[in-house]
Amino acid sequence: MGDLLLDVAASPQARAFIKSLGLPIPLPERLAREPGPWTASPLHDRTVLVGATRGATLVGVLAECLGPAGADPFVDGPAELLAPFVAPGETFGRPARAASALGERAKVHGLVFDASGVDSPAELRGLYDFFHENAGKLARSGRVVVLGRAASDATPAHAAATAALEGFIRSFAKEIGRIGATANLVLVEPGAEARVPAVLRFVLSPRSAFVTAQPIVVSKRARGATEPVLVRSLEKKTALVTGAARGIGNATARLLAQEGAHVLCLDRPADEAATSQLAREIGGTPLLVDMSAADAPTLLVEAARARGGIDVLVHNAGITRDKTLARMSAELWDQVLDVNLGAVIRTTEELVNGSLKDGGRIICLSSIAGIAGNVGQTNYGASKAGIIGYVRAMSERLADRGITVNAIAPGFIETRLTAAIPIAIREVARRMSALGQGGLPEDVAQAILFLATPGAQGITGRTLRVCGGSLVGA
Amino acid sequence: MGNAGQKKRRAVIVGGVRTPFVKAFTDFVELSTIDLGVAAVRGLLERTGLPYKDVEAIVWGGVILPSASPNVAREIALDLRLDAACEGMTVTRACASGLQAITLAAAAIERGEADIMVAGGSDSTSNAEVKLPQKVVHAMAPLALGKPTPSDYLTVLSKLAPFTDLLPEKPRIAERSTGEVMGEAAERMAKRNEITREAQDALAVRSHQRAAAAIASGRFDDEVVALKTPDGRWVHGDGLVRADSSAEKLAKLRPVFAKDGTLTAGNSSALTDGGAAVLLMSEEKARSLGRKPLATISSWSYVGVDPSDQLLMGPALAMPKALERAGLALRDVDLVDMHEAFAAQVLSVLKMLKSAPFARARLGREEAVGEIDPERFNVHGGSLALGHPFGATGARMVTTMANELARTGKRSALLGICAAGGLGAAAVLERVEG
Repeated sequence: MGDLLLDVAASPQARAFIKSLGLPIPLPERLAREPGPWTASPLHDRTVLVGATRGATLVGVLAECLGPAGADPFVDGPAELLAPFVAPGETFGRPARAASALGERAKVHGLVFDASGVDSPAELRGLYDFFHENAGKLARSGRVVVLGRAASDATPAHAAATAALEGFIRSFAKEIGRIGATANLVLVEPGAEARVPAVLRFVLSPRSAFVTAQPIVVSKRARGATEPVLVRSLEKKTALVTGAARGIGNATARLLAQEGAHVLCLDRPADEAATSQLAREIGGTPLLVDMSAADAPTLLVEAARARGGIDVLVHNAGITRDKTLARMSAELWDQVLDVNLGAVIRTTEELVNGSLKDGGRIICLSSIAGIAGNVGQTNYGASKAGIIGYVRAMSERLADRGITVNAIAPGFIETRLTAAIPIAIREVARRMSALGQGGLPEDVAQAILFLATPGAQGITGRTLRVCGGSLVGA
Repeated sequence: MGNAGQKKRRAVIVGGVRTPFVKAFTDFVELSTIDLGVAAVRGLLERTGLPYKDVEAIVWGGVILPSASPNVAREIALDLRLDAACEGMTVTRACASGLQAITLAAAAIERGEADIMVAGGSDSTSNAEVKLPQKVVHAMAPLALGKPTPSDYLTVLSKLAPFTDLLPEKPRIAERSTGEVMGEAAERMAKRNEITREAQDALAVRSHQRAAAAIASGRFDDEVVALKTPDGRWVHGDGLVRADSSAEKLAKLRPVFAKDGTLTAGNSSALTDGGAAVLLMSEEKARSLGRKPLATISSWSYVGVDPSDQLLMGPALAMPKALERAGLALRDVDLVDMHEAFAAQVLSVLKMLKSAPFARARLGREEAVGEIDPERFNVHGGSLALGHPFGATGARMVTTMANELARTGKRSALLGICAAGGLGAAAVLERVEG
């Protein structure tokens, strides 16, 4: 499971030695992470350089977000761009300064560009200018965020420009991955502006270490409060996590508990020891259920009722039974489809009727395999792509109840599952990502936690990739 | 509280004194926190002529408490041979400890627990205990607590090796949660609130000039009691105030907390030794004894802010809260007295008080708390000039402001104190009629 290259890269001497050999060995950057509970100012003392196109409409939202979140804003642009930053800057002691005030060799933790004013390809030039000028200022494990308007009823030219932003982000993410930096696009639907700051707090923080190269759409579709709780936001809430005994499920249960949630830790009866130990450690409740059993939905509903309902449902349990299609038995096909998709649908249908509270969260684990496909994973890929379709449809059905439904698609994550992959393939898979390394279960858990918080009310029906910018999954 | 108190019991301030405040490791180096407390309370009882037996209780504030006898209040009562029934408690709320002691006493009197109490605080920064590393303490335990055998000594030696980290730890005023020294926090506040070096130095100069004027005019004579040191010398006045302070002189000082910083020894308060005590009574008792109440404490407020954000911003939240509780607006108060830990911190707080965006976002009100006229602000100087023996500062401020109200006939004074841990404190004093 250990990543030798990552360890080598951590030593300056070894780094210098390998570089001096001139070998084409990519040395991945050790990613900055934030393991503790969410604080009121997750961007504490992080410098963020802001730019915008003409006619940009999200600068105000950005200014209102950065000061309270603890960031020190610098602004690259005309003087009027500074105006929205004045009041929040004064209030929180985070006065915005002109980019010229940055030292010659100063690095910034974030580059944020408001491209919401772009409605034709020609206006994309501002995007090029800003990043061409400032890309070199980005610190290790830095963050690039481009803000745009979701193209719904726009002109074809606007739609083209918005899609272009996505392409830009994907490629730029690959270029800055070697310094551990990420790039994401936040697309805002009209009327969803108030829901943007919480999303920015996540994508600009070290919590989104392995989330890169993708659009994140913020909508007002799911009903709910717009002033989210920021600290201990899951207090008095109950979360159900399936497959909690180890790996991503285990990390997720721990993070949810850290924010105050009572976690029902579900895993197979065979994993009783690990499940019970986890539940003891985080003050949760162990729940030993075989998700593919016929009585699983009933048992889950009973457990939920005992807590007076649940607020967060994380479908993490899943299996792989890899074989190329020609060699795959019907049994392997059925098993994977049933555990990964059938059981998710059966239990969810039961739980949404009276057990999952309004304003709740459903988060289902998909996979990059469900997006890009993998040899030997027709069954797994089908089940994980099925999840993407399921959350899209369910999000519509539950939006009026304020429930958001999303999928998380992990890429190569260092777990027991991926440790079993033959070393040669494993090495390739790791290095395929923009960040040149595998993610940790905690990285996926952080993304799940974010979607579980009240701040993620604007995200529903979507699939968030936690893949380090790769398209190889497991 | 406020004017509603015609029938309600209320506590009044009858008098207050302090020892001279002197620079740490100078005249008072042989005097402990308890000694300084004894001196202040003795001075208070002498000046007010209150019989020793009448003191029912002492509440004392301190920051660097003696670990062998942390209940300084009780030790003062015993050392002074007050009545054995005079009980004592000691409180700590960092630099707001002195004010905390006074508001606790006022609350106790208003609840009917006592009629006559002494409250105040003292600190001897010269006598901060130098700590042995916990490793040494734990390793030595078998030797100190049992009947050690030779092999115990060997075990201790083996536990202590390697011997590189056994030096006693230097005491520093650092935040436990962030590890940041207070001056560094204030330095960051200066940067974040865009407080210039010139503005800081100007505030420091004004503080020195006003304190010097107060001393020269005899304004402090009623408040400061001379103190005899163990070697027999009398110390009559404050040791840190510089009448000849000027912007030019302060401009020459080098920054101490950051290379490119703006905080210097001149615009930061110095480590100081001293004590201060206040006499509180129920209004009824004061009048029956024929004593003139100087002021009452209409309201107080203690708040906390994130120490990793702006450590010393607390007063910007506490002062509006105390005003609100007293039913007053900032423009209604005649005097404002703020503890000057660092000029940068004072100016940061003042900037927030006059900021409308701050009021909206942090206080939930539409209008700024207000701008404070320099003529009403720290009229006799502050901690930058006088010094800051942590626990004593609150009692010094209450004493000076209570006297100021009684002398000038002004109606009200607002106090504000910042404290370690991200704490803020404030209180409103109002003159008592008749």
